[in-house]
Amino acid sequence: MLKVENLHVSVEGKEILKGINLEIGAGEVHAIMGPNGSGKSTLSYILAGREGYNITEGRVLFFGKDLLEMSVEERAWAGVFLAFQYPVEVPGVSNIYLLKAALNGMRKFKGLDEVDAMEFISMVKGKMKDLEMDEKFLYRAVNEGFSGGEKKRNEILQMSVLEPSLCLLDETDSGLDIDALQIVAKGVNRLRSPERSFVLVTHYQRLLDYIKPDFVHVLAHGKVVKSGGPELALELEEHGYAWIDKKLAS
Amino acid sequence: MSVLHLPNAHYKSLVSAHEDVLLGDQISWLNGLRKKAADQFSEIGFPSFREEEWRYTNVTPIEKNKFTVPRESGSVDEAFINSVLLEGCYHLVFVDGHFQPTYSTPVNDLPSGILVSALSQAITENEALVKSLLDSVVETPALGFVSLNTALFSDGAIISIEENTAVEKPIQVAFISSKAGALTLSNTRNLIFAQAASTAHIIETYHGVEDECYLTNAITEVVVESNATLSHDRLQAESSKAYHIGGVYSRLDDKGVFKQSNYTFGASTSRCESHAILGEASDCTLNGLYVGEDRQHMDHHTRLNHAQPHATSHEYYKGILNDRSQGVFQGRIIVAQDAQKTDSKMNNRNLLLSDRAEVDTKPQLEIYADDVKCAHGVTVGQLDETAVFYLRSRGADEQMAKNMLTFAFANEMVERIEFKPLRLAVLDELLERFPQTGMKKEWL
Ligand SMILES: Nc1ncnc2c1ncn2[C@@H]1O[C@H](COP(=O)(O)OP(=O)(O)O)[C@@H](O)[C@H]1O
Ligand SMILES: [Mg+2]
Repeated sequence: MLKVENLHVSVEGKEILKGINLEIGAGEVHAIMGPNGSGKSTLSYILAGREGYNITEGRVLFFGKDLLEMSVEERAWAGVFLAFQYPVEVPGVSNIYLLKAALNGMRKFKGLDEVDAMEFISMVKGKMKDLEMDEKFLYRAVNEGFSGGEKKRNEILQMSVLEPSLCLLDETDSGLDIDALQIVAKGVNRLRSPERSFVLVTHYQRLLDYIKPDFVHVLAHGKVVKSGGPELALELEEHGYAWIDKKLAS
Repeated sequence: MSVLHLPNAHYKSLVSAHEDVLLGDQISWLNGLRKKAADQFSEIGFPSFREEEWRYTNVTPIEKNKFTVPRESGSVDEAFINSVLLEGCYHLVFVDGHFQPTYSTPVNDLPSGILVSALSQAITENEALVKSLLDSVVETPALGFVSLNTALFSDGAIISIEENTAVEKPIQVAFISSKAGALTLSNTRNLIFAQAASTAHIIETYHGVEDECYLTNAITEVVVESNATLSHDRLQAESSKAYHIGGVYSRLDDKGVFKQSNYTFGASTSRCESHAILGEASDCTLNGLYVGEDRQHMDHHTRLNHAQPHATSHEYYKGILNDRSQGVFQGRIIVAQDAQKTDSKMNNRNLLLSDRAEVDTKPQLEIYADDVKCAHGVTVGQLDETAVFYLRSRGADEQMAKNMLTFAFANEMVERIEFKPLRLAVLDELLERFPQTGMKKEWL
């Protein structure tokens, strides 16, 4: 589904990603772990199409197409979804309006009619119930004044409404208490399917107790320095990121 | 002073030509007032852009266009008039500055305790009230446009709410310019009197037939007595070729509450003054939204005159300027020496959607008391790039994302409108300007 080849990215002359290689097959769950500042969010943003980065080398293929050539919205339409580490507050735009505009944008791209208003509402309300979100959030401005946990849940709500093929979750676990973490994890697990892949970007392994990854990659200094199975996350948890540095040095 | 002013022979001659046909021309005190105003206008004329307060707004086209005062109203489509009347209100309708009883709420349908009438009627039935209110609030030395208005006003609304009376329904005063095909000038004057502990909501709206060029010169004087609460909304939706000069001049007595909001969409050049004199422990809110496109010019001047202690004022104006439009905001706050414990907040935020749009914004604080809280902020900016990216990443195309955010910027002001028919009318104006939002009214 996704193939990242030798991706080099710099910002203001400073190289942040220094040759990332990653291959993600349909239905797989990958965890990308790494210390703060290792470039995890940068990688997520690059895949979602954020501007302001210099891609100096490499390419990214999504279902065989050049992802980097596509605009932000084209990527969304093609099935890329990024759950932001810091979801953006959008005063004046209600949650329901954004969800509807987003879903209709997606449907338009696929040549489908606009979603039926009644069906839409009941579908969204059902998903909110799963995420234990109060219906009043529908009419509140997107993320405005939401707590950290509410924002993260809202990201998962958008993801479940839009049903993307590739879900990138940037530190969705950070700032969540254990109850909220379980709810979010359940929301993600509900979306798992043979056609849908996940990239869980995280600093800690605790999210992976609830969402079982098939592969774990360690990102450090702008490179994937180690890849392995779920056991790699446990090793990291035990030894800390310094352990990676030591291993690299030797 | 005199060197600053534009020649205005045409408008002086207008005044003398209409002397004997104006409302109340048999009444000597009114004739005296008009005469004084006419003399004042002869002396000061129209403001020049060389005056600090008029630096950014050039009224030369008004002078050049030689607007004339129609002696009666032109015809307007009935459907057009009905389309601008808000549901659930009492109505007073004026066309080209002349009262239209057919479209206005009959006196018999009004509740007791309120007077809602055209000045042309009140001048015979309630002369003393008119006399006590007229020219009682507007500050002197008056502006040329104010003098011209006093000298020439053809009609307007008088609304008086008796003590302890709460008016359930809002009162809409609609001013419509007809398809006259001529350059008409409407001078209208409104007098609003909220007596002690009364409550009312008044909505002024201005409309014109599209593509008509005319000049509206409209002044409203407001008195809010002790413990009265008055809301005043002003929707300016003139034809995009029109000129609109307006002013709301208010006086708040102790513990009076006044909330004045402007929604400016129309006219090629518009200027709106909103001035308030605040009594002890009164509370004044001045809000505004202006949305300009093409080459529209929209100027808002506010003045909060804190004359007495313990008063609070809140001011929030937002502007969106597209294409080559130009916005002006000048917010003046004057805190007199005796006005201790004044609490005043002013904020003006602007969104420039094009490289050629412009905004000139200037907060002006004159504080002569020492124990006061005054906060002011001004921003001029473009759309938040992060928010644009966020919306696009959810599948809104770039234009739609930008429109959504622009709409949202304005909608913050619209959401504050509690009276739904007005909120929807303002939304209509807004949605007309941002058709690509995909926004539907029923989602709001
Ligand atoms: N827009 C930017 N401008 C300058 N430096 C940036 C920018 N974005 C990221 N960086 C830098 O790139 C490095 C990686 O950041 P980030 O991708 O946010 O890491 P992570 O998500 O792993 O904590 C950090 O050193 C950060 O300061
Ligand atoms: Mg990060």
